[in-house]
Amino acid sequence: MVKFTAEELRRIMDLKHNIRNMSVIAHVDHGKSTLTDSLVAAAGIIAQEVAGDVRMTDTRADEAERGITIKSTGISLYYEMTDESLKRYKGERHGNEYLINLIDSPGHVDFSSEVTAALRITDGALVVVDCVEGVCVQTETVLRQALGERIRPVLTVNKMDRCFLELQVDGEEAYQTFQRVIENANVIMATYEDPLLGDVQVYPEKGTVAFSAGLHGWAFTLTNFAKMYASKFGVDESKMMERLWGENFFDPATKKWTTKGTGSASCKRGFVQFCYEPIKQIINTCMNDQKDKLWPMLQKLGVTMKSDEKDLNGKALMKRVMQTWLPASSALLEMMIFHLPSPSTAQRYRVENLYEGPMDDIYANAIRNCDPEGPLMLYVSKMIPASDKGRFFAFGRVFAGKVSTGMKVRIMGPNFVPGQKKDLYVKSVQRTVIWMGKKQESVEDVPCGNTVALVGLDQFITKNATLTNEKETDAHPIRAMKFSVSPVVRVAVQCKVASDLPKLVEGLKRLAKSDPMVVCTIEESGEHIIAGAGELHLEICLKDLQDDFMGGAEIIQSDPVVSFRETVLEKSCRTVMSKSPNKHNRLYMEARPLEEGLAEAIDDGRIGPRDDPKVRSKILSEEFGWDKDLAKKIWCFGPETTGPNMVVDMCKGVQYLNEIKDSVVAGFQWASKEGALAEENMRGICFEVCDVVLHADAIHRGGGQVIPTARRVIYASQITAKPRLLEPVYLVEIQAPEQALGGIYGVLNQKRGHVFEEIQRPGTPLYNIKAYLPVIESFGFSGTLRAATSGQAFPQCVFDHWDMMSSDPMEPGSQAAQLVADIRKRKGLKEQMTPLSDFEDKI
Amino acid sequence: MDLASNYDIAHTADFIRSRNFTRVALQFPDELLKDSTKVVSALRDELRRESDVEGKGDFRDIGFFVMADTMYGSCCVDEVGASHVDAECVVHYGHTCLSPTSTLPALFVFGKASICVEDCVTSLSGCLLNSEKPILVLFGLEYAHAMQSTKEAMVVESSSLCGSIYKNAIRYADVLCSVMDPKEYRGTSDTQLQSSHCLNANRDCAHCDQMNSGVVGTSYTIGGLMWNLPEGHKMEDYMLFWIGSDNAAFANVVLTYNRCDTVRYDPMENRLVKDVSHIKKIIMRRYYLVEKAKDANIVGILVGTLGVAGYLHMIHQMKELIMGAGKKVYTLVMGRPNPAKLANFPECGVFIYVSCAQTALLDSKEFLAPVITPFEAFLAFSRGRQWTGEYVMEFRDLIAYPSLQVSDKLEEARFSFLQGGYIEDLEPQESGKDVDENERSLNLVEATEKSVQLREKYTHSLVKGEARTGAEFFAARSYRGLDIQSEDSGPRSFVLGRSGKASGYKDEKSSQENM
Repeated sequence: MVKFTAEELRRIMDLKHNIRNMSVIAHVDHGKSTLTDSLVAAAGIIAQEVAGDVRMTDTRADEAERGITIKSTGISLYYEMTDESLKRYKGERHGNEYLINLIDSPGHVDFSSEVTAALRITDGALVVVDCVEGVCVQTETVLRQALGERIRPVLTVNKMDRCFLELQVDGEEAYQTFQRVIENANVIMATYEDPLLGDVQVYPEKGTVAFSAGLHGWAFTLTNFAKMYASKFGVDESKMMERLWGENFFDPATKKWTTKGTGSASCKRGFVQFCYEPIKQIINTCMNDQKDKLWPMLQKLGVTMKSDEKDLNGKALMKRVMQTWLPASSALLEMMIFHLPSPSTAQRYRVENLYEGPMDDIYANAIRNCDPEGPLMLYVSKMIPASDKGRFFAFGRVFAGKVSTGMKVRIMGPNFVPGQKKDLYVKSVQRTVIWMGKKQESVEDVPCGNTVALVGLDQFITKNATLTNEKETDAHPIRAMKFSVSPVVRVAVQCKVASDLPKLVEGLKRLAKSDPMVVCTIEESGEHIIAGAGELHLEICLKDLQDDFMGGAEIIQSDPVVSFRETVLEKSCRTVMSKSPNKHNRLYMEARPLEEGLAEAIDDGRIGPRDDPKVRSKILSEEFGWDKDLAKKIWCFGPETTGPNMVVDMCKGVQYLNEIKDSVVAGFQWASKEGALAEENMRGICFEVCDVVLHADAIHRGGGQVIPTARRVIYASQITAKPRLLEPVYLVEIQAPEQALGGIYGVLNQKRGHVFEEIQRPGTPLYNIKAYLPVIESFGFSGTLRAATSGQAFPQCVFDHWDMMSSDPMEPGSQAAQLVADIRKRKGLKEQMTPLSDFEDKI
Repeated sequence: MDLASNYDIAHTADFIRSRNFTRVALQFPDELLKDSTKVVSALRDELRRESDVEGKGDFRDIGFFVMADTMYGSCCVDEVGASHVDAECVVHYGHTCLSPTSTLPALFVFGKASICVEDCVTSLSGCLLNSEKPILVLFGLEYAHAMQSTKEAMVVESSSLCGSIYKNAIRYADVLCSVMDPKEYRGTSDTQLQSSHCLNANRDCAHCDQMNSGVVGTSYTIGGLMWNLPEGHKMEDYMLFWIGSDNAAFANVVLTYNRCDTVRYDPMENRLVKDVSHIKKIIMRRYYLVEKAKDANIVGILVGTLGVAGYLHMIHQMKELIMGAGKKVYTLVMGRPNPAKLANFPECGVFIYVSCAQTALLDSKEFLAPVITPFEAFLAFSRGRQWTGEYVMEFRDLIAYPSLQVSDKLEEARFSFLQGGYIEDLEPQESGKDVDENERSLNLVEATEKSVQLREKYTHSLVKGEARTGAEFFAARSYRGLDIQSEDSGPRSFVLGRSGKASGYKDEKSSQENM
């Protein structure tokens, strides 16, 4: 059934100009997987007839069942183009054979980490947008991510069939809808434009927008029609294409093109006249089974049907006719081959984004030139469970050099620091594998520009890593991926039978590997925690854990738990002081909230411990109004040395101060990880060391005296600065018809959410609602919403920001106080907060 | 209860006299210290009276020394303290873990806590009726005196209740012994120490246990208690009934037999406590500490006892284990650890506390680094070993614990649950040859030099690499000696210092008054 062999594939892998690595990205349910099917069908992996129904890339049972994609799946496809169709292609190429490494990605926001992983190893993206629903929140998110990775996009306006069959809109109205979709997409792309990538906006008249009906397996670009009409009108194709879009009108009565509608009934827009109407006509003819009218029309279009296909009726006939006339694969393929970059083109500008090291070393050059003879640079973007239980393929992209079976590689993990031995392994690759449809084929080696799966490295890679040759000790790693979602929802898991613990541990290890986003950790109380992006994500993770990774051993899961942050509202009401255990040393401190936006800047890495102090103090003084000298006196960030809290030295002329700096820092790292309220992480607090009194003898001001004291004084200053809890908040986007709005508002109100944007989608009865919803209220939210709107509203939640809870946790009976008590109880702490007097000492 | 019976004066005097000790150390825990003088005089009186009876009059030769404020846990015999006064034996009062001594013979006086036998028996029989499992009765040593009467009352009670159906369903533990003499078990190797020791005690106890007389099965000992289970019975098959307070000994029992259902009868409040979940939580917490320990690069061994037999062996074993795992180890002797003491070694990622079973669990949030037991260290530092729920508190049992050979070296990298990813471990140091190298003084210099160079490369950075050794840690500190201010080297003018006490200097007092 498969029309090509592994040998053929391997041969084209060397032709770096004939490779396209691309991912299919879109909002959930806009038809990615369905559209992918038609491409796969064209490559001969599945039969044309079932294309659109199989969802080839949804390989998991639960994916098929829920009808959503959960994991991104890669497929290598081989196409041979005709000379005819490649005539206009101006770029470099070797022959007519093309290799498309295609990755279908999930659209649900909970799995957008999969999209991130897919984007990293591709150069181009096919953005799928539902022509009715238009550009949605996730479309924007994935587009932003794609452009951030310097991925060139092309667009397809999908679900065209809905226009014809469901909505039955007329040509002009449809045009306006499409135009709006494209415009919206272009607005987003323009926002995230990058000078190196050039103009990334898409234009139908340039062939970077396709119109498709994934379900029926047909698609076209204006190129298709331009070709058809060019000879008829005696103009060249590119001229024709321009006329088929935008303000170009044609009146068949006068046979004249104008740039404005003349108002006459026969004068129609080029697109409507020459693209939309003919398709509409064909579809209607098919649906009405007017075969006597159909055959001559098809003959005129040069479409020949097989004899057995002529017996089909209605929808089946329509599908078949359209597939033959405007096959989705050729339109999309042409668009990809013509307009998406080959690895050798893309890596030229992507190298800056990819490589962490200096831009002029041999590794950067090898990536830039996509040099198969250069040193190996390979980025593993995700781990894919193998059929062999418990093992994983390391799936990634070769950016330079070649990776071969049996080769010894240097694995640089995410915590690797050049020059150190941390997170570094040297291991040999057991097998190199490529994906052909559902099965894998071993190949001897894989050169740069391709995606590859490696066997035998899974025991050293958790989620991602950079691989290079064994000897290349001075190579820097490839930059880590940045995810748009964060694991804010957590559950604690336990095994039902205590002796299953080793199974659980092993299962969690595998789970952590199988998903780029999920984090498996352990709480202070000894509970195993699984953290994911959302409720659905966790549900899938838990199912995988139990069924696939633990062999069905039973687990008990807790209710979802949300982690909070502790912050302060104001500057401490007074300078607090704590004495060391021996009473000979005193630390004076004050806490104050960090300037607005500073915590986010630290999160984003714009300000961090690794910065050049000059740069840091520049940002701090210019953007956040810090004193220039003060900016140089930051002692540290925390927790984990990088967190969004800091200690600043405000002392003047204190003796031995340097000596206790390390101890204070150690105490701060400890305290900022476990705040005074509920031992949650602190966020956005600046601790100012105001004064220090130290014993003259070094022995009496050692770490043992200062570290616990620093911790106490930090707690005391936190408590005196009006401590508050921060809760995580989702940005929710809901699309629903007008009649569902009442229900949506009701549910949102009940769940402490608030709507901040409500826009009607022009040309549709749909409304787009954006709201903020506390994560803690989001459990069961989609269910409640569906019930309240009789299934018409489907929310997408993505973590947006931390929101301060206004109630005072120190005030008994307040909501925050109750929360603090609950958290403390769950963590097995004393339910009462430690009083200030335990932390603060009086003179 | 009167002093003589509570402190077992007669028995103690007998012990001293029969073995002809002349220098006797009396070890009191803090809470009993107030009685120490009375006990000494009572003992003198007793001995004098006895010698008067015998007419020898040699009691004056006996010197009594009261020891208090022991270095480590007060449950262990402080042999070092005793040898300061050249004592020939130690009489230990109060709560004890009954850990075997290494040099001196010791007599343990448990004291006699008051207990209402009837109420206890009612609770016990109530449990017996509701429980599907047979019951094993364990008790705090201070209640050992009441056990015989409890047993007898129970026999009456159970026969009156339901005949002999439950006759087999209840078992009692016994006190191992109250006298310990290293001479008696000297010669046997450390590993056999425990068993030979048991035999010695068995003789006294076998006949008093009417229920399992004649049945030979597995014998168990914990915290000074011992019992036999018939062949084929497992501990999980029993329900544990603890008579005593919620102390370290009880925690020890619950942790060790964490798969058994456990109830506790509190003789102080005369009530039955069925909820022991707080101790089960400890296990979870310990599990976390083990995971945390796995991430440590530098390990400190805290010597928590100088008395319990086999402690040196254990320390050596720990050292080998840790070096085998490629980590750096330092041995620290600091008496009873507290947060301030441990925070003086911020370079240590984890501490292993080698001590007797009942002081072993040190878990306070105040500690900067976790303090774990040798058993937990075994779990943490031998790769491929998983915690299956069993728990060993006594490090003596660990000596015989099957050691797992690190045979599969190219196994997968270690997964750290604290960081949620793979963490590389250092190459295991080859023990033996490498040890000498590590001890070389030059090594310190080299390591220091290396880390100094490393640091200079990232001189602007606020982040430091993780230290592998103490020297590296120190080299990475931001403070490395006093700043020499070269510009003003001239003599400074005379400045008046502070005066007063550390809790409040004189100048501060005045400022407070001003407020």
